[in-house]
Amino acid sequence: MIATVRLADGSVAFPCAAGDNLLHAGLRAGIGLPYECSVGSCGTCKYELLDGRVETLWAEAPGLGERDRRKGRRLACQSRPLTDCTINLRPGAAYVLPVPAARQRVAFLASEPVTHDMREFRFRAAAPARFVPGQYALLELPGVGARRAYSMCNLANAEGDWHFHIRAVPGGRASRILFGPLDERTEVVLDGPFGLAYLREGPRDIVCVAGGSGLSPMVAIARGFAAGKGHPARRLHFFFGGRTPADICGESLLAVLPGYGERLTYHAAVSDPEAARAAGWPGPTGFVHTLVEAALAPNLARFEFYFAGPPPMAEAMQRMLVANSVPSAQVHFDRFF
Amino acid sequence: MDGVIKIEVPGRPPLAAFNLDGTFYVTDDTCTHGEASLSEGVIEDGLIECPFHQGCFEIATGRPAAAPCTVPIRAYRPVIERDLLHIEDDGA
Ligand SMILES: Cc1cc2nc3c(=O)[nH]c(=O)nc-3n(C[C@H](O)[C@H](O)[C@H](O)COP(=O)(O)OP(=O)(O)OC[C@H]3O[C@@H](n4cnc5c(N)ncnc54)[C@H](O)[C@@H]3O)c2cc1C
Ligand code: FES
Ligand code: FES
Repeated sequence: MIATVRLADGSVAFPCAAGDNLLHAGLRAGIGLPYECSVGSCGTCKYELLDGRVETLWAEAPGLGERDRRKGRRLACQSRPLTDCTINLRPGAAYVLPVPAARQRVAFLASEPVTHDMREFRFRAAAPARFVPGQYALLELPGVGARRAYSMCNLANAEGDWHFHIRAVPGGRASRILFGPLDERTEVVLDGPFGLAYLREGPRDIVCVAGGSGLSPMVAIARGFAAGKGHPARRLHFFFGGRTPADICGESLLAVLPGYGERLTYHAAVSDPEAARAAGWPGPTGFVHTLVEAALAPNLARFEFYFAGPPPMAEAMQRMLVANSVPSAQVHFDRFF
Repeated sequence: MDGVIKIEVPGRPPLAAFNLDGTFYVTDDTCTHGEASLSEGVIEDGLIECPFHQGCFEIATGRPAAAPCTVPIRAYRPVIERDLLHIEDDGA
């Protein structure tokens, strides 16, 4: 069944294919439905259902608070239409997909270690892989029950290759399948690309900040920057934050890029001072947002910021940038819920 | 009765001035989640709800109170003198 979804203001209607959710169906149709995470956690895709029926995929999704539920609000990324629907929300041009997103089977090719608990996973689709550096895809893994978002670390390519740096989360359902180890015969479906924290052309120098598994999209942005035709004087400052020295990574991936050490620099901080001391870590200790602030002050508003990582790290970065009067239009990030 | 107006001040981001049942509060007007003007939002239970994605802030403190907002807005201490609303801005 194809459901028709109408916006309450009468501005647009779009089709939603069987099995698709409201958010991704709208985005596929070229409409700027607000979103960030695609997985029920950020709360940006809230809407009101005025007419029709939907199935809720994850009833306890943290993106909705008690107050939202009381007011009958829902999450577009967790709603599957059962009939034609009329919904109320406010679209925005910033959310329109930069390249089309499609759901397709992918084959698992190989994985290799990045750190003690992170690996690079490589998948191949039949169609060319089209995405912008910094975007993510949703992976459907057997037995997980819900899709998980993973950010690509490679660049768009004709071969159909999608590469991800993924951290093993102890006890995590997707982690268990991926690090099982993953069998080449496992059926994996990929939907994407989605996400707003993608590389933009512009005059400003770039700052990339990765916390832990936030490495993947930041490496993609650095690779896109190095491969791009941007102004030769434009620079990129890459920061990585890890808890212990064993978590620090990414430098070897950047060191092979043209301009490394000149236009492209790498800095890392270890947040656990005990672990730093025990391992004889020669670099800075502390949270990575404090290293970024110290290294770039004053006038952080002259940079374009990209960051990704666990929600507390992303929030610390946001607060630091607000305190430094960096306009939000220059700040692009994903929280890895 | 609760109400809010937007105050444009040259050389700085706009402010939102609230009257909650006779008590005045002043906060930044721009949401920390996006470029929305909070004075166009809805006031309820001491919260201002953003018109874009229905995130909330506590009006008295600026604390984020509902997703997707996670970063506080600044809340100022207003003083009323001779019918004029004054706020202290340390420029931080
Ligand atoms: C935009 C984005 C990009 C990301 N990119 C990366 C990346 O590049 N590399 C990386 O290592 N990680 C990334 N993550 C995190 C990743 O998606 C997973 O959360 C992580 O791998 C842990 O998954 P798990 O199944 O192993 O753990 P689990 O603990 O089993 O699950 C973790 C997540 O699943 C979701 N969840 C839990 N229950 C349900 C339910 N009933 N229905 C639906 N969802 C549910 C929650 O969001 C929870 O945070 C990203 C996350 C987001 C949002
Ligand atoms: S996009 Fe739906 S909750 Fe984040
Ligand atoms: S802009 Fe205010 S909640 Fe999104």
